[in-house]
Parts: sequence; C-alpha cells; structure tokens
Amino acid sequence: MFKNFQSILQLNWFYFLLIIIIFWIGEINLFSAASGSLEPWAKNQLIRFLVFIPLFFLILMLKSRIIFNLCEIFLILIVIGLLLTLFFGYTGMGARRWLRLGFINLQISEFAKIFLVLYLAKYFHNLDFKGHLQVSRSIIPLIITFIIFILVAIQPDLGTALILLILGCLMIFFIGIRLIYPILIFFIMIAISPFLWTFLKPYQQSRVKTFLNPDLDPLGSGYHIIQSKIAIGSGGTRGNGFLGGSQSSLDFIPEKETDFVFSIFAEQFGFIGSIILISIFTLLIIIPIIKSINIQNTFVKLAILGLSIKLLIEVVINISMTLGILPVVGVALPFMSYGGSSLLSNMIICALIMNLMSVEKKFKYFR
Amino acid sequence: MNSNFDSSKIIKRRSFLAIIIAFLFFLIISARLFFLQIIRGDTYKKKSKENRISTKITPPSRGDIFDTNGLLVAGTISNYSFVVYKFLNKNYDFEIKQFNKIITPVNYELFKDKLSKSNPYKPFFLLKNISWDSIVGFEKNKFQFSSIKILETKKRYYPHKNFSQIIGYMSESQTSLKAFPKGAFHIEEFYNNTLKGFPGKTFNEVNAYGKIVRQISLEPSIKGSDLHLTINSKLQNFCQNIIPVNKKGSVVVLNSQDGSILALNSNPTFNSQDFENRDSEKISSFLNDENKPLFNRAFSGFYPPGSVFKPLPALLGLEKGLINETTEFFCKGHSSIGSRNYYCWKKGGHGKVNLKKGIKESCDVYFYELAKLINIDDLSSLATEMGFNQKYSIGLSNAKSGLVPNKKWKRKTYGESWFPGETLITCIGQGANQVSPLQLATYYSSIINGGLFPKPRILKNQSVEFLGRKINEKFHKILLNALNSVVNEVGGTANKLFRDNPNYIKIAGKTGTSQVISIKESDREDDLYKEKQKEQLEKFKDHSVFVGYGPVDNPKYIASVIIENGGSGSSLAAPLAHEILNFAEKNNV
Repeated sequence: MFKNFQSILQLNWFYFLLIIIIFWIGEINLFSAASGSLEPWAKNQLIRFLVFIPLFFLILMLKSRIIFNLCEIFLILIVIGLLLTLFFGYTGMGARRWLRLGFINLQISEFAKIFLVLYLAKYFHNLDFKGHLQVSRSIIPLIITFIIFILVAIQPDLGTALILLILGCLMIFFIGIRLIYPILIFFIMIAISPFLWTFLKPYQQSRVKTFLNPDLDPLGSGYHIIQSKIAIGSGGTRGNGFLGGSQSSLDFIPEKETDFVFSIFAEQFGFIGSIILISIFTLLIIIPIIKSINIQNTFVKLAILGLSIKLLIEVVINISMTLGILPVVGVALPFMSYGGSSLLSNMIICALIMNLMSVEKKFKYFR
Repeated sequence: MNSNFDSSKIIKRRSFLAIIIAFLFFLIISARLFFLQIIRGDTYKKKSKENRISTKITPPSRGDIFDTNGLLVAGTISNYSFVVYKFLNKNYDFEIKQFNKIITPVNYELFKDKLSKSNPYKPFFLLKNISWDSIVGFEKNKFQFSSIKILETKKRYYPHKNFSQIIGYMSESQTSLKAFPKGAFHIEEFYNNTLKGFPGKTFNEVNAYGKIVRQISLEPSIKGSDLHLTINSKLQNFCQNIIPVNKKGSVVVLNSQDGSILALNSNPTFNSQDFENRDSEKISSFLNDENKPLFNRAFSGFYPPGSVFKPLPALLGLEKGLINETTEFFCKGHSSIGSRNYYCWKKGGHGKVNLKKGIKESCDVYFYELAKLINIDDLSSLATEMGFNQKYSIGLSNAKSGLVPNKKWKRKTYGESWFPGETLITCIGQGANQVSPLQLATYYSSIINGGLFPKPRILKNQSVEFLGRKINEKFHKILLNALNSVVNEVGGTANKLFRDNPNYIKIAGKTGTSQVISIKESDREDDLYKEKQKEQLEKFKDHSVFVGYGPVDNPKYIASVIIENGGSGSSLAAPLAHEILNFAEKNNV
C-alpha cells in the first residue's frame, strides 16, 4: 500500500519547498491584509494548513498504483457529494455550494476538479489506442464532464462549472484528438455567444459590461476592478513595503482576503515582488509537466498534465482579474486566498503531482 | 510497442504546447504588471493618494433576547470612546497633550510607547466609556483636534443577573471593532448565527489624507434576529432566591404540557455583564472559585438521583410482568445477596410492602427484591425512553448525556462483568447512576404524560416535538396514584408538605437522598443519623433531591430541585419545590 522509505526520500522535495514558499508568502499577505494582525485570517489559514498536512503526507506515501485504482470510486463519491450539496447544501450568497460535513463546510465542486482529471486520465490510459483519438471515443468522457458541469452550474456556480468544462475538454485535447475539432468548436462558440449572453444572470452580465468599461459603475461592480488596479499600480517598481499599503489599510479593496489577495501583495511588494511570485508559480506548474514528458505511463502523464493545468488556469484567471485583463469571477489564488476548501484541494493536487512524478519512467503500465 | 508510438508522441507535443502557453500567459501578466506598475506607476500612486471612495464596514446590532413575557434580558447599548487616528495628523502628540489640558486628564506617559507602535490607520483608544460632559466639552473645542475622534461602539447589556447561567456571554466585548463579536457560552454561543445579523457598508468620500469629506452612500446593516425564551423572569428570580445562599444547588421548572423550560437555576451563579465589561478581577474570581459559579448545575450537573428514580424500576416490573399492583415483598430492614446485606433506610423494616407503599414510604427493600428479578439492560433502555441517557441540545453549553448504566458500559469502562448487587443499588437510584436535574424533570414529564413527553425547549417559537413511547394506561395510573400518596397520604415521605401548607397548590412527587460517600445503608434517611451528620464535614452530607408536579389533578408544572449536601430530600428540597410550584400556579406563569 505504501511506498518504501527509499522512494519517499527520492520524491521531488524541491517541489514541496515551492509549495511551502508560496503558502508562506500567502500567510504574510493575509497578515498584512488584516493591517498587521493574525486575526482573523492568517492564524486560521495556518491552522488549516497544519491540519491538512498529515493528509498531504499520506497521499505522498501511497503507492501510485493505489491512486490509479481509486479513481472511479472517488468520482462516484464526488457525484454523490454534488447531489447531496444540491439537496442538503448550506446556502450562502444565493447559492448552495457548501456541504456541511461534521464541523467543516466543504465546497465539493473544488474536489470535482481533481477527480474529473484523474478519472479521465485513467479512462484514456485504459483505451490504449493508436494515433489520434477517434471522435467516437471521446463521447463518454464528454458526457461525464457534462454531467459534472451541470451539477455545479445549477448550484449556481458558473465560474467553477466552466473551469470543470475547460479541464474536461483539455484532457481530450491532450490525449490527441485531431486539432480540427477544437478549432471548429472555438468558431461555433464565437458564433453562438450572442445567444449565450441571454442565459447569463443580470449580475453576470453586469460583470462583463463593467469589465469592458469599469467607469460605467465606479461604486458598483466596476469598483473592484478600479480599486484593484489603483492598488497594484501604486506599488510601483519596489512596492510600498511590508504593511505599507495605504489602499488595503484604508479598506479600499473589497474581498481583499479572498479574490483580491494579489492586489494586496502587489501594492506592498511592487513589480519586483510580483515577478518573483509569478516566477515561483510558473516553476510550480512547469516542473511537473517537464518531468511528465519522459514518463511512459499514459495515466501518470495525463494526470500530471491535467492537475498542473488546473493550477495554471486558476493562477492566470485570478491574477488577470485583479489586473483588469479578465472580468471578475470568483476564482481563488492557489495557496494564497483565504478559504479551507481551496487550500485543501490544492494541497491534495500537489501531493498527487509529487507522488506521480516519482513513477518509474520506462514502464508503460503499473506493475 | 510501436502501436502506441504515435499517440505518446502526440501527448508529448501537446505537453510542450501547454508549457509554451503557460509561459505565454505569464508573459502577458508580466507585461500588464509592467504597464500598471512601472509605466503608469506614478499615475496610480497619485490616484491612490486622491482615492476618494473608501468603504467602511458598519457592524450590525446583535439580536436582543427576551423572556417569555417580552422582558429584555440581553440587549445592546451604545458606548462612546475617544480615539486617536495617527494618520490624520502627524502632531497627534501635541494634540493629546492639549486634550489632557482642556478636556479630560489622560495619562499619556502610560501608553505613549504603545501608541507610537500602533497602526496609524486604526483607531487607538484614549478613553473608553466617556461621559456626556466630556463629549460636550470636546464638541466645543473640536477644531483643535484633527487626530482625535469620538467613536461609537456597541456593548452587550444584561439587565438580569439571574439569566447569566442561560444566556452566557460573548468571547470579546462588542467594544472591539470586529464586525461580528462572537458569543462564547450558552445561548449567546449556540444561537450566534441567528443573533449576529449582517454588516452594512458605508461609502465615504475621503481626501488625500484619508479624512472623510462626506458620505456618499450607505448600505445599512441588518440587525440580528431576536430570541424569545420560554423562561419566566418572575419565576426565574423566585427560584434563584429560594435556594439557600450558601448552598450549591439547582432548580428546573418544566411545563409538562409543551416542554417549555420555565426556570433553570444554578447556585452559585455569575454575572454575564462582568464578562462584557471585561472586569478581569471578577472574571478570574469566577474562574478560580472552587464552588464553580460558571457551572450550570441544572443542565450539566450530574448526580445519582436517589429514590426519585424508583418509579422507573417499578414500571419495568409491571411491564415485564415481574410484579403487579398487589405483589408484596417483606421488608425486615435489609435484603441480601449471598453473604452481603443491603439495608433499607428504615432500620426496623417496613413489614409487608406493595408497590404503592414501596414508593410512598420509599422502602428500599421492596426495590432490592424487585431488582433481583430485573435485567439491568432492560432498565437502562427504559430509562433512555423516559428521558435519561439523552443529551438535550437546548442551546446551553456543556451538554452531556449522563448515565443509567448497563452491562456494556460496565465492560467498556471497567473491563468487568455486571454484578447482581449493582442492579440493587441502581434500582434505588444510587451506584453508577448519573442524571441531571433537567433529565429528572423530563423523566417525571414522561411519567405524567403516560410515556410520550414533549422535548424540553428554551426557545418560544420552537415547535413541540415528542419523545418516548406510550405506556400502558393501567400502569400509568398505578404510578400516579403512588406518587400522589407520597405527599397526600399519611405516612408518605413528603406528607409533611401537605400538613404544613394545606392551602398551597396540591402536588405529588418523590423525595430522594443522593449519597455523596458510601455510608452504611442503614443510616440513610435515618433521623438519628442526621444528628450525627452535623458533626461531620459539610461536604460529606447527602444531596437533597425532590421532583414534584402540580396541580395534582391536571399537572402542568414540574419542579426538580437538588440541593448539594442538603441532607434528606424531605427536609430541604421538598419544601422548596412546594413553594416553587405554588408560586408558579398562583402567578399563572
């Protein structure tokens, strides 16, 4: 069931160091978001991290084959969890997103991302085909992706649902469907987007509108973008220094502990600090993909790729949103935003990636 | 081997594509950062200084708590303080000295260091709870002080000390600036989410120095929901005052018809207001007091119930057909298993005893003989059906389920099997039995209601739920008749109540004496022994227990009274319960 001690030592501990560094930057940032106080965010987040660490190490120590074997079971648990959320979920801000499990509230959709990727990786691994993937063979993965998409979309949580849909489609892309299909879909989407617009809720429409022109509504939904840009821009080259951000101290930035943590960071540490942070994130995402290229096992390759892409999507969407490149959607910055479900799911992802990176390169199948 | 060559090559190519796209994204982000922070950096720096709109969270008012008649027992009042915002004026130092001269003396030297290290954007408290005079004085000279402001904060207000054991207190005073101060104990903690409300937002226009020029818009905060308790403050106060001041004890008054708790008292008690005032001297005296004033004995105090337990084995005997109404056992003062004797409290014995006499005169031997026929596991599960072994989640902290023991518990706890002698001790309410005064009240509610009894509740608008199962109507009558005779027939252990106050409410009930240490069985409830006890240490004295209900023809009120180290049940707890039930009826609470 568990790896032997020797192979645990040979895990990629540099990758673990990157996680610790990012989390620690996040802690410092939450501390400063509260104007130099451990309450209410930094301390809680640290406690959560310490509580989750044993699970992290448990996943690390598992033999990779065990992870492979459990994919379907976990996907079924996720679907059950999503159904339970719809019926018994804890309602907050007009949506049923949280499921109360004992003393914690879990956002099951966060974990759906992980196990959708793992399940699809296993599915394609077992197909064992030649050349390009035939379209007919992508039907089952598409159906499963779509079911999970719908379950999350009707909570309603369109942001997370779209990420799930993108992840599912990207997995099909990576396994090697002919390029013509994604290109076709892209053009169809553009063609029907005016119709999709009418499906969006008024608040979602207003977010897109104010993204295109924030000055339309400086006190309403455009407020976030304007304030965030001012905070980041005022950081300049070197930043205003630790705890020196006037924008965050004066409470100009709303939701500074969740969606807009990056604004707080960039205001304090400036361009240099931001570039360093982004570089660390880049390493965190790219190292596993590079390692996976020479691994023969299709499941491992696809799982590492999919999970790393999940991190990439969230980092890019979150930071782009604070910079005003994308409209405001509620996506957390991995390891830095305050929140338990996101922290737990990202720790599980990184533990899985670290585990799978250690699989022996030359074997195509688990022995 | 080469059958998969193609597809793995495709994955490889697309992995490289993913890496390139990742780099591309980070390049775009870096370019955007370069644009915002370096090219436009100075513009934004200027903008940040001119940033005109700041949002401030306005904390909501916490919901109020009322007693059953709408009397306020926990509310919120406003409090005013002088605070310093350092960022408003660099010469705050000078202003404080000036303030000291003109308005009110403050000992600046004391907090000078702390102030210099504090966050310039956050208020620093100069003086809390300021008087109207100093506010008026300050308003007249306001122009001299640009860094000193008056700050309004909210404070929790508890006008009735006797509700402290029910309402609890807050983890930190509402005078702190958090949007949501949290309840830390009892109702304040349990119903925190209901009480806390939703914060509002104020959008202020501020100038380059963060000074508010005018208010632009306001999203008002929403006050938390109020709670209405079932507790009647008149009765609550009456019960608290009736417990002898120097005795530890508790009272529960329960409405047997709808399960509402009318009074719930524990002595000694504390004052919630002292916690809200952060009166550290008083708080630490509460925490260190060996009589544990923070401990709610009515809800979390668990005792062996003594003889008030006896109707339960009697009912079990009837239900299992082990005895009937006329079955008699002979009491010669003790009963024995093997060589060991189990004594009745009456040395000479009761002679021939049937069920009614057994309860009326509280004959122990009757129950010892019955116990020899009883399976302890049956007794324990009937006890659960009648309100014991249950954790009542009514909104108070430290809920526990107590214990009416069974074989499994014994094995788990001591790794030993159950001894027959233990069934004897359990059936007279001693031994491992651990029950709370609230559970005793629900137990009698179950007896009065014929098995199905309303779940106890402390919130008025909670719907009535029923627990337990129906018991045979004939057995029900037998139990009520026996409990009636305890008070209203000559020879009953509480007949003195009827004789002393014949014009009071007619009640029924059962006395109990809960042993603190194992004294000789023969000494219990013996008058001679009471004399001996006086010489003994107070803390080894028995607990005095009584559970009664009235009016006897149509029961509505149940009073469960335990006075620690109060001696026998008939001597102290019973007259108190009679007074309480009488008060409840006369005032129609």
